[in-house]
Amino acid sequence: MKLAGRIEIAAPARDVWDLMIDPVSLAACVPGVQHVARVDDRTFKGTISAAVGPMEGQFEFASTIVSSEYPTDLQVETLGTDSVTRSQLQANVQAWLEPLDPGRTALAYRATVNVNGRLAIVGEMILRATAGVMIGELVKCLRARLEAGAGGRPAAADVAAGPPG
Amino acid sequence: MNVSGRYDLVVIGGGSAGCVVAARASEDPAKRVLLVEAGPDPRPTPDVIADPKRQGEVILQSPFVRLYEVERPDGSTFPLISGRVMGGGSSVNNMSVIRPIRRDFDAWSRFGGPAWSYDALLPLMRAIEDDPDFGDQPLHGRGGPLRLHRSWKLDDPADPPARALIAAAADFGLPRCDDLNVPEPFGVCASPYSQVDGRRQSVADAYLEIARNRPNLTILSDATATRLDIAGGRVRGVELATPDGPSTAGADQVVVAAGTYHSPQLLMLSGIGPAGPIEAVGLRVAHQLDGVGENFQDHAVVYITFQGTTELREDYLIPKVRLIAKSRPDLEYGDLHVFMRPSIRVAGIPPLLPVSIHLLDVRSRGRLWLTSADPFDLPAVDPAILRHPDDVRAMLDAMDFVTRLTAHPKLAEFYGPLISPESPDGWEEHVTSSYITYNHAVGTCRMGSADDPLAVVDPELRVHGLDNLWIADASVLPVIPHATTNLAAILVGEVAARNIARA
Ligand SMILES: Cc1cc2nc3c(=O)[nH]c(=O)nc-3n(C[C@H](O)[C@H](O)[C@H](O)COP(=O)(O)OP(=O)(O)OC[C@H]3O[C@@H](n4cnc5c(N)ncnc54)[C@H](O)[C@@H]3O)c2cc1C
Repeated sequence: MKLAGRIEIAAPARDVWDLMIDPVSLAACVPGVQHVARVDDRTFKGTISAAVGPMEGQFEFASTIVSSEYPTDLQVETLGTDSVTRSQLQANVQAWLEPLDPGRTALAYRATVNVNGRLAIVGEMILRATAGVMIGELVKCLRARLEAGAGGRPAAADVAAGPPG
Repeated sequence: MNVSGRYDLVVIGGGSAGCVVAARASEDPAKRVLLVEAGPDPRPTPDVIADPKRQGEVILQSPFVRLYEVERPDGSTFPLISGRVMGGGSSVNNMSVIRPIRRDFDAWSRFGGPAWSYDALLPLMRAIEDDPDFGDQPLHGRGGPLRLHRSWKLDDPADPPARALIAAAADFGLPRCDDLNVPEPFGVCASPYSQVDGRRQSVADAYLEIARNRPNLTILSDATATRLDIAGGRVRGVELATPDGPSTAGADQVVVAAGTYHSPQLLMLSGIGPAGPIEAVGLRVAHQLDGVGENFQDHAVVYITFQGTTELREDYLIPKVRLIAKSRPDLEYGDLHVFMRPSIRVAGIPPLLPVSIHLLDVRSRGRLWLTSADPFDLPAVDPAILRHPDDVRAMLDAMDFVTRLTAHPKLAEFYGPLISPESPDGWEEHVTSSYITYNHAVGTCRMGSADDPLAVVDPELRVHGLDNLWIADASVLPVIPHATTNLAAILVGEVAARNIARA
């Protein structure tokens, strides 16, 4: 499953980049994420809860920044497992920046999401829409932080939303 | 259990059709019948199978299904599913009881002659049913083995979204359809399910239960037929892998009812089928039949998702309302099932409301072949879903219809903008890269006359060229019905039982 998008942000490219390559700020912008923990400079893990009709489950995931070449190549690999079927989800998000003028930057991304195992039976129904909305919300959240002049750093409390998991 | 010995009839596969054949054949106390099922025969029925609320678990977590991983053109994968337990598909399916439409019988008659027409088979369809709502009407039956249960009827109270759907559909020319088991069903339908007292009624419950105590019926579960021993144009015996080791059952008549995935597999393992795929795994051709494994068909399903204006927690439409609609207004028959699905809830994002579109016309044809000579390896499947450009076009037309329907003022109260796929240029990519199936695989041992090069069984359901070998399951259907397929499989079982008794 492939997803793509582009968003313009009223902030210099460098600020956008600094925010994106910081796992803490990335994690803070993932909607509904819980139990976030920083594993190292490039990796964070967390849990997302989802329900479809009567079925409810948790996704435990770890996201790693696997490459970062300013401003054209940021790649984040995510591996997740769902609590119900123990199916594996793999997501690769590639993002790049186009500096538009000194105070404005376009952030573009492309994502591939694959599911293996039984979850793929319902995967398309849940994942495609959900992944699309989540990535969209994530980049909007990054933009909001930058445009609010948060200096590219979310408050630490935002990240420590749940116990480390 | 020692099963070696001779039987009048060996039925391979205790699925929807196999249970019917074994139950019907053993009604004659003079007939010794053996029913062999690869999966378990757990009794009492495990709650996960019996309780309709646990349907998701049966599919996602239970050991009672087989999964066949298949690939879409973009390389992504998803599994096709079949049941592997007594009752077969009927023990793991979603329990809808829907008859093939008249058009399907017309299509089958083109391959199987007048015995497959709607009018010829109506008495059998009536005899299968126990329909408390319409059983007294000429098209329907009362007192048959299979109960039709409608938990909700169109005049019953419904939640606001269901009411809105019914009202909006009326403005789209979709009439109310209280009984969808009519020759030309169309409109907003109340869905019947095979349930008794709120529990699943599998075909094992409906047909086999009353036959279990018959001294002339032997039931062997956890046993796989691995090969048919053929000589002189007849099957001499059925080789079995049983919990007690290998065994051979001798039989006057053999019925293969192992389903669309495994009936062609067993035939090919026995050297019956097209030369290429059989020889490719190192086996020898004993009886060449080029149609074995060809003609695979299944219904395509595509989900599209809207932003929800409200959270719809209830399972409000899955068991109740089924839209039977047309992808194009000029079609003469409903080619779509459409379901409004309950919302997806993820903390931090607004509720998402999916709608599933099930295309009942299938112009693409796939195939199935052996991956090895080991009977325990699953066959490989190329389902060819949506490979035909007209199938893709019909799905796109269907999406257009659904987005217009949800934009109706009554439904727009609940359905916001379409978010997946987001933009109209992405619709085709969405369709071809996200489809799954309705789990209605048919066609891999299709019927047809002797001069039809891809026919595997004749219109009586006997394998061409092999006197005492029959196939009775959804694999014989030459064309997929515009309906869910359990009732079609049961009907095939009834037809086979009748024909074998007459033979
Ligand atoms: C998840 C799912 C949901 C569905 N939902 C619906 C629905 O709501 N309504 C509907 O009408 N239809 C539905 N269907 C389809 C319907 O259930 C099937 O079309 C029907 O059960 C097929 O019957 P069959 O007799 O052809 O094969 P099956 O029921 O599949 O029976 C084949 C049996 O043979 C056994 N077998 C296989 N190989 C061997 C061997 N070598 N030796 C011995 N035994 C063997 C299998 O274990 C199986 O029990 C659904 C199917 C699935 C999988």
